Amino acid sequence: MSRNVLHMPLGEEEVRQLKVGDVVYLTGHIFTARDMAHLKIRTLLEQGGQLPKDFAGAAVFHAGPVCLKDEAGNWKLNVIGPTTSIRMEPYADVVGKLGIRAVIGKGGMAQDTLDACEKYGYVYLQAAPGCAAKLAQGIRSVYDVTWFELGMPEALWDLEAVEFGPLVVGMDTHQNSIYKTLRTAALEKLDALYPEKG
Amino acid sequence: MDKELVRAAIHDTCIRAVTEISADVRELLRQALDRESNETAKSMLSSMLENLDIAKQQDKAVCQSPGYPTTWVTFGEGGFPDFVGEAVADALAEATRKGYLRPSIVDPLTRHNPGNNTGEGVPNIEYQYHPGQDYMDFIISFKGCGAELGNAMKIFTTATLKLDQDFAGLKRFVLETAINAGGKPCPPFGIGIGIGGQMDIASKLSRQAISTRKWSDTNPDPLLARLERELLDNINALGLGAAGTGGDTVCLAVKIGRAATHTAIAPVAINFHCWVARRAGIRIYHDGRIETIL
Repeated sequence: MSRNVLHMPLGEEEVRQLKVGDVVYLTGHIFTARDMAHLKIRTLLEQGGQLPKDFAGAAVFHAGPVCLKDEAGNWKLNVIGPTTSIRMEPYADVVGKLGIRAVIGKGGMAQDTLDACEKYGYVYLQAAPGCAAKLAQGIRSVYDVTWFELGMPEALWDLEAVEFGPLVVGMDTHQNSIYKTLRTAALEKLDALYPEKG
Repeated sequence: MDKELVRAAIHDTCIRAVTEISADVRELLRQALDRESNETAKSMLSSMLENLDIAKQQDKAVCQSPGYPTTWVTFGEGGFPDFVGEAVADALAEATRKGYLRPSIVDPLTRHNPGNNTGEGVPNIEYQYHPGQDYMDFIISFKGCGAELGNAMKIFTTATLKLDQDFAGLKRFVLETAINAGGKPCPPFGIGIGIGGQMDIASKLSRQAISTRKWSDTNPDPLLARLERELLDNINALGLGAAGTGGDTVCLAVKIGRAATHTAIAPVAINFHCWVARRAGIRIYHDGRIETIL
């Protein structure tokens, strides 16, 4: 079976065609951003400041890589894997307004993100958790790093991805979320097993 | 005891802990893949096992996040060497330079990252005096912090434990906490549960249970062994699966530690551990013998 490879910048239509459970690979620029970068981006937007990158059609990866400098002083990516995405839930609308089309992470996100996925047209992609050496094989090079003063994990890394994945669509633009469906089913099983609360 | 030999053994144990996952957890992962019926979960579990091989072949970290390191030093009348903390800090610094550990320890408020994986209270070392023990145990564990986001603690009472319904209150709390955690703690996760003491003691017991015991062991206490088995089966029956995207195994192990408490309360702490179980341990005898225990 051939790989479903999507190229950045991603178009709204191709993203809206994705359904939960689809498996995709990404090629092109991937930006890492976690707690501090999201906070910084929101602050810059509120203050009318200049963003360091154009996020239209972008793929944003909730991740902090391990990077080392080679003898020539160039950054080399060692390993990279997803961090827990729910921490970025407060930025659901900011992400949508920036025109970001794919968010990569682990563990899924909540209703604000699901609503923003539908409203702005972006998807949530689940990467295999704890698989940093394997996922690093999909990153060819480091273009650059912004806000390194935030520390290696929190900086915004611009990476060259080549068929980065596999990534499973965990939340699509049609109000479908694997996490929400599983949670609802699990809570029903819990109530059947132990009906008394408190 | 030869000081240099012990220092070298502690160093090597720290490096082993950051470059592989413990054999018991790898075996449980393999068994989970064998039993798995869900296609996405099969793919996730295969990726995890493949990732371990790639990390080994390429001499890289298994996971980009070093988590938070805690060390347990247990000793008897012979005491412990005064350089344990220094030896651990040196090993962490070396592992950081070599790219095995991403610099990830920060000030909790300013978020300043000094870049060397140390800081106030880090490395954290728990020294425990065990009267009559004629050796020193050294165990270091790096526990990921997405897992921490799922953790929970509750002070139960006789009534809320539902003592008359075989601890139904406790069991519901554990399952509810697992559902709320979902995919956050990098499943298939392990769960450490601390029961007893006060809030502080229950929390420490929960971390020690999941970080220092083999996930494949059986609790020597029959009541705890029964609860561990029942909770493991019921959590997996929830269907959350590897990575939290559905499947047969969301949990590889439940480990419970207990301590006596006050008659008014029953503190319960629930502590998740990602599948990347990076920990290693050695036993150092006073005649200089050193053996691997984890």
